[in-house]
Amino acid sequence: MTGAARTRFTRGATAAIPLLFVAIVPLQRGIDRYRASMSAPEELWVGSGTLLKTISMGYDALLADIYWTRAVQYYGAHFETGSSQFKELYPLMSIALTLDPRLTVVPRGGSILLSEPNPIGAGRPDQAVELLQQAIVGKHDDWQLYASLGFVYYWYMKDYGHASQVYLEGSQYPGAPIWMKGMAARIAELGGSRDTSVMVWSQIYQTATEPRARENAKQHLMALHAQADIEELQKIVDNYSGHIPRVTSLRDLVEDRVLPDVPVDPAGYAYVLNSSGVVTVNPASSVRMDILDAGKHDKAAE
Amino acid sequence: MMAGTVAINTFREAVRDRVLYNLIFFALAMMAAAVFVGQITIGIERLVIINLGLTAISLIGTVMAIFIGVGLVYKEMEKRTLYSLLAKPVRRWEFLVGKFAGLVLTLAVNTALMTLGLAAALFYVTRGFSRADTSILVAVYFILLELALVTALALFFSCFPTPMLSTLLTLGLFVAGQFSTALREYGHVAHNRALELLLGAIYYLLPNFHNFNAIGAVAHGDAIPGALILHNTLYAVLYITVVLLGASAIFANMDLK
Repeated sequence: MTGAARTRFTRGATAAIPLLFVAIVPLQRGIDRYRASMSAPEELWVGSGTLLKTISMGYDALLADIYWTRAVQYYGAHFETGSSQFKELYPLMSIALTLDPRLTVVPRGGSILLSEPNPIGAGRPDQAVELLQQAIVGKHDDWQLYASLGFVYYWYMKDYGHASQVYLEGSQYPGAPIWMKGMAARIAELGGSRDTSVMVWSQIYQTATEPRARENAKQHLMALHAQADIEELQKIVDNYSGHIPRVTSLRDLVEDRVLPDVPVDPAGYAYVLNSSGVVTVNPASSVRMDILDAGKHDKAAE
Repeated sequence: MMAGTVAINTFREAVRDRVLYNLIFFALAMMAAAVFVGQITIGIERLVIINLGLTAISLIGTVMAIFIGVGLVYKEMEKRTLYSLLAKPVRRWEFLVGKFAGLVLTLAVNTALMTLGLAAALFYVTRGFSRADTSILVAVYFILLELALVTALALFFSCFPTPMLSTLLTLGLFVAGQFSTALREYGHVAHNRALELLLGAIYYLLPNFHNFNAIGAVAHGDAIPGALILHNTLYAVLYITVVLLGASAIFANMDLK
């Protein structure tokens, strides 16, 4: 090949390569589509964390990081597609924790993903308890693990006896904040009252380091606040309707000087009265009352 | 056709170098698995044999493709046989394509023999074949496509100065190509548009070896859609063409003095 021919060849190749790469894109998309339709069963290559630890040749910490990353990706991929099946979430997290028992982000973050009801989470607080108990075995003096476990018992399982006991147990370890003891006493005394829920979520909000966990706590606090407002407003509406039956909006109560103004929820939207005479949050508001379903507080304890 | 002659010679050389001796290791592994699988598993003997067999075919083939592939050009330069070869009417790209075809032929023969070994082990364990077993051949074909792509990459990097560097680069790209899907998923969940676009672009640029993994599916008896076979074939052909074009362009401008 002469020098000129080589130059021609190189020029041709340089021009062809990007074009061929462009052709690869639709081909890859087609392959992705067909592979997705093959619906391969979700599998864990190695289901035992202990076995993995043995064969990891000392790289167990790195492997734990990979498994935790895989768990988060698994959650993210299922959440994005709207699939409510999180079958492998617990095994992935449990394996990551077995590989590195000091990786406390796994039980602390993972317990929420496991506990939250579908479609946000796996709706399996029992698995969250197992994960946190596994973590406590490996790191028994970490008060934060007890706080997380107490929270799962309190909010998702409504097992106030265990919740109180766990908060009390955790409060005895070094570094445990004073509120742990107070929380234990309050839950034992008042169970699932709204005030206790506000206290629990406030602590989560103040101590959470992960922005999404803080945002989640904030949303719950706003919803609890709105719930209290709605109950109070409903009482006023019901009482007032007893005397004058035609209350069609909260504005009527303002005009009759029962209320100084139409109250607003924590997001700044005015509460509304629907056609059935029930006070609700404004549909445009960012306050989501449905998130309280997982931890409906105990009316009897109010 | 000079490329054909180079290919035949490359195959002969591989046989002379006792490359196919790896089959002994594969045969021993399959025999041991066939004998012991019944004792260590319950109800998934067929699954274990297929998973083990296909994984071994893929791993052994990949190791061969990388370690032989990176030496294809370098060895010829070191032994100075390349100079006498290029003095003949052989274009440089023909030499590269011939080398590629020769190694792919070696890998195909190796894979075919290992597939026979897998079939024998499967027959021993299940006492017969079922219709679903035919999809194993599709998985083997996908492995062969994967090996051809790895060979092309190894050949591309064999145009680089040292075999060690070439091995590392090929291996690195192979590993990255296995995880490209995870990379794209990460982009989706990162909630960062720029990162998502970047990882999406990398996803399409990297050779996607995950495309060729049908081991789990065929082990569970799933049929592989014909359209996927066609797409994978086209993908491999297209990607190999890109890589060989790149390799030929580099090789054409290499100063061989």
